[in-house]
Amino acid sequence: MQVNRLYSVLLVTALLGGGVGTTLAADAKAADPKVVEVQKMIDGAEKARKKAASVDSEWRDTGKFIKQAQAALKAGDYDKAMKLARKAEDEGNLGYQQGVSQQELHLPSYLKY
Amino acid sequence: MKKLLNRVAVLAIAGTVSMGAQATTPEEDRNAFNKLYKWRFSGVPMEEFVNGAYAIDPIGRENWEAIEEFPPYEPFIDEGEVMWETPFANGKGYKDCFPDGPAIAGNYPHWDKEQGMVMTLPLALNQCREANGEKPLKYKKGSITNIVAYTAFQSRGQVTNVVIPDDDPRALAAYENGRKFYFTRRGQLNFSCSTCHLQNTGMKVRTEILSPTLGQTTHWPTYRSKWGTVGTLHRRFTGCNKNIRAKPFKAQGEQYRNLEYFLTYMSNGLELNGPGARK
Repeated sequence: MQVNRLYSVLLVTALLGGGVGTTLAADAKAADPKVVEVQKMIDGAEKARKKAASVDSEWRDTGKFIKQAQAALKAGDYDKAMKLARKAEDEGNLGYQQGVSQQELHLPSYLKY
Repeated sequence: MKKLLNRVAVLAIAGTVSMGAQATTPEEDRNAFNKLYKWRFSGVPMEEFVNGAYAIDPIGRENWEAIEEFPPYEPFIDEGEVMWETPFANGKGYKDCFPDGPAIAGNYPHWDKEQGMVMTLPLALNQCREANGEKPLKYKKGSITNIVAYTAFQSRGQVTNVVIPDDDPRALAAYENGRKFYFTRRGQLNFSCSTCHLQNTGMKVRTEILSPTLGQTTHWPTYRSKWGTVGTLHRRFTGCNKNIRAKPFKAQGEQYRNLEYFLTYMSNGLELNGPGARK
């Protein structure tokens, strides 16, 4: 009976210890200024993507680059994540500019009425 | 005066079409398209445009004619006939929704005043299913292509005759939005539909000859060798948008339905010849 209680105590301690350890590790990673910086870049890319989509002018791969950037960040490959986020943000901004530039319909001059 | 007011109302409803847009009527647009293709492909009779690039590419045409001897879309027509004849779980069937029979492709797309939107054949078929407690079919490939292939085959020889009704300015607005979509540059390549299929028709992209816009809506669904199966027109729109590196829109969403409305109007007067076979 006492042995069982001892096992229970040990098990709970081990679980709590593991949990605390994991939480601490995650917190440490989240607090890493590099992670914060990269996440900020990814958020910026997502904002740019949405802006392009708001004028029906999102490009094909922008969303894919953002997903890949998020995966690279999770894997700790910060350089790759930053590169992808930058690329996605550029695409989002260019897509938006393109959409705005196309708001007016201009029929081509070779089409003769 | 009434026509002018209608036009202003339409431009306001269209929203995305700027007030600076050239005000042309759909019939003027169609005549301008016809004039351009007649000038560019002077030896090609108008009725040939239903054959797409094969109207202007003699070598491609030889291959296509050989393929058409044993049409790869035939099994899909047969499957579609079975679907047409098989009742839903509630005992009703497609026949009850479309009492005029399966030769209905010529009625689509049309303006549905009640729903305030462009109605396409795949959408109407799915609405029939849902009204009878069946799950809607996916819009790009799969079973939808069977039933559309069967109706298209039964409708062969009908003449494209899209009408834009005068009594609802929203119909003309939908046409205008479809036209705007067609001429809008998008994607990383900064191409519009017109870049390939109007301005550069007959030119090559890699090994492929760019097909004319006229006739592009007459032969759907189509068996594409690239797909290895039959697909819908909206699947092709999706592919086109991906090719120019633009994010495609939802199949049977408003953008593609309006585009279909515009494109099909441009093909008014041409015979339906679906299902088709293409590379």
